[in-house]
Amino acid sequence: MQATGRFYHHARKCWPLYLMALPGLVFFIVLRYIPLGGSIIAFQDYSLFKGIADSPWVGLKHFKILFDSPDFYRIFANTLILGFLKVVVIFPVPLILALMINEVRAVLLKKGIQTALYIPHFLSWVIIAGIAFDMFSLNGIFNTVRDWFGYGPNLIMQDERYFRWIYVFTSIWREAGWGTIIYLAAISAMDPQIYESATIDGASRMKQIRHITLPLLLPTALVLFLINLGSFLDLGFDQVFTLLTPMTFSVGDIIDTYVYRSGIQEARYSFATAVGLFQAIIGFVLVYVFNRISKKVTGGGLW
Amino acid sequence: MSMSFSEKVIQKCIVAFLIILSVIALIPLLSVLSVSFSSRVPVELNQVTIWPKGFTLDSWKYVLDRPDLWRSFGVTAIATIVGTVLSLLITALLAYPLTKKEFTIGKVVMLAAVITMVFKAPLIPYFLTMKNIGLYDNPLVLVIPHILTAYNLIIMRTFFLEFPSELEEAAVVEGAGYFRLLFNIVLPLSKAVLATLGLFYAVTIWNQFQHPLMFIQNPDWYPLQIKIRQFITSDNELQIVGNMSQLNYSARTLRAVTIVFAIVPILMIYPYLQKYFTKGAMLGSVKG
Repeated sequence: MQATGRFYHHARKCWPLYLMALPGLVFFIVLRYIPLGGSIIAFQDYSLFKGIADSPWVGLKHFKILFDSPDFYRIFANTLILGFLKVVVIFPVPLILALMINEVRAVLLKKGIQTALYIPHFLSWVIIAGIAFDMFSLNGIFNTVRDWFGYGPNLIMQDERYFRWIYVFTSIWREAGWGTIIYLAAISAMDPQIYESATIDGASRMKQIRHITLPLLLPTALVLFLINLGSFLDLGFDQVFTLLTPMTFSVGDIIDTYVYRSGIQEARYSFATAVGLFQAIIGFVLVYVFNRISKKVTGGGLW
Repeated sequence: MSMSFSEKVIQKCIVAFLIILSVIALIPLLSVLSVSFSSRVPVELNQVTIWPKGFTLDSWKYVLDRPDLWRSFGVTAIATIVGTVLSLLITALLAYPLTKKEFTIGKVVMLAAVITMVFKAPLIPYFLTMKNIGLYDNPLVLVIPHILTAYNLIIMRTFFLEFPSELEEAAVVEGAGYFRLLFNIVLPLSKAVLATLGLFYAVTIWNQFQHPLMFIQNPDWYPLQIKIRQFITSDNELQIVGNMSQLNYSARTLRAVTIVFAIVPILMIYPYLQKYFTKGAMLGSVKG
């Protein structure tokens, strides 16, 4: 009796809160959790007409097909290589940039530099890729400048040797400036007294960066690094899809574009889901392992 | 702050390096802009770098006369406006209860939201679910998938949590319910976070490519990015016009125009929101 009474009282007072939350909750359930559960079609021969309930179960069949296909290893290797470049080459750039921007004392100049570096973040990958294709076209600015120095034209967008570097440079161009925001915020939150006393003790700017700023930025960088690892294999469909050409397919085709092709275009639903699940599991294991390592080494981690 | 001579030199070098870097970051944009205003012949003779040669509006005239491009522009503009308003509304409606301890399921909801950041459903079950709820080839697909993200939810909740409770308490004494508290007290004082998240949502919807690529079949509902992509890659139609030698534009100058055309609206709202978004992005980083 008392419990129902309390429930009644709570409901009468707080129902607006639940009503408010309803649209957002429905969104999470329908668009995030139901698809997550729908992953079980990786273990079926899913057919659109039969649905999940009536499609036959086939166990690990699609995973076997996956691991037996030579295509898959090429695509997996491409994904790993780009993921590796993302974590090792692209990830540190915002940190270095933030340390440099922090050395700019003139406020207007600092703002100008930041604005110039932020802008590409707001352009879509379709646009970024469009600009890249234009710059590296036969008459584009890249080949025009080559021409000044007497070099012949070079179509690097169509050359598989350069695809990975194009991926790296477009990533840095679009995201590195934006990525400095968090580091600059962390730097500005630091206690100026530490720097003052360091200056009095005779520490040079470079020493201050090495012994104060960097160590203080490390926890932020670590959290970002772990988040980055979690999306290690999540390279950005839009970016790779828009930068790919038939000539760069052999090095640029990744899991995301492979899933799109086999799943959406060829309607191999169960197979493509198996590929997606494989990708998700590897990603999760990576975060888990590195979180453990990080906790052991530094005492801090994501959870 | 006194610095030694060598430190001053290092600092000057860093500043110079950053200025050069900023210029390099902007050169691609300047290059495509000048190609869009240049005549066909200098473009083909490799004479255009970051300044237009043989200034002409012919390419712009050709592109801006295309009704299909304007239709895509309209589709994208409407989706962006409707989607941003709807997103902010639904995000705020969920974030606000999450700041109240009376909202007893709050902890579970937060956990469920955070889990979506770690576990993303594979593409195909997501595609099939969207199809089942009727979003295939439906223009609503340009809006609905972007309504809520756990990341933005956390930013908004963090902002609401810092809100001084005295203001709300005073309103409660006067008999205000939760809806009035949110809409009359909290939201009017949350302009910074609304502007920041509004910009994030608007940019996401404006720039989206994968969703329309998968879900929109009817060309009438192609958003701008799909249209631009078609211009950039399969430009048979442009190639034909561009190759007629008496014309003052080419496939490449037309492509440059469509690229600039899609950038302009983003760059126009950017300065107004710039003062807000650094703060908002920092808010997001607090949680990490």
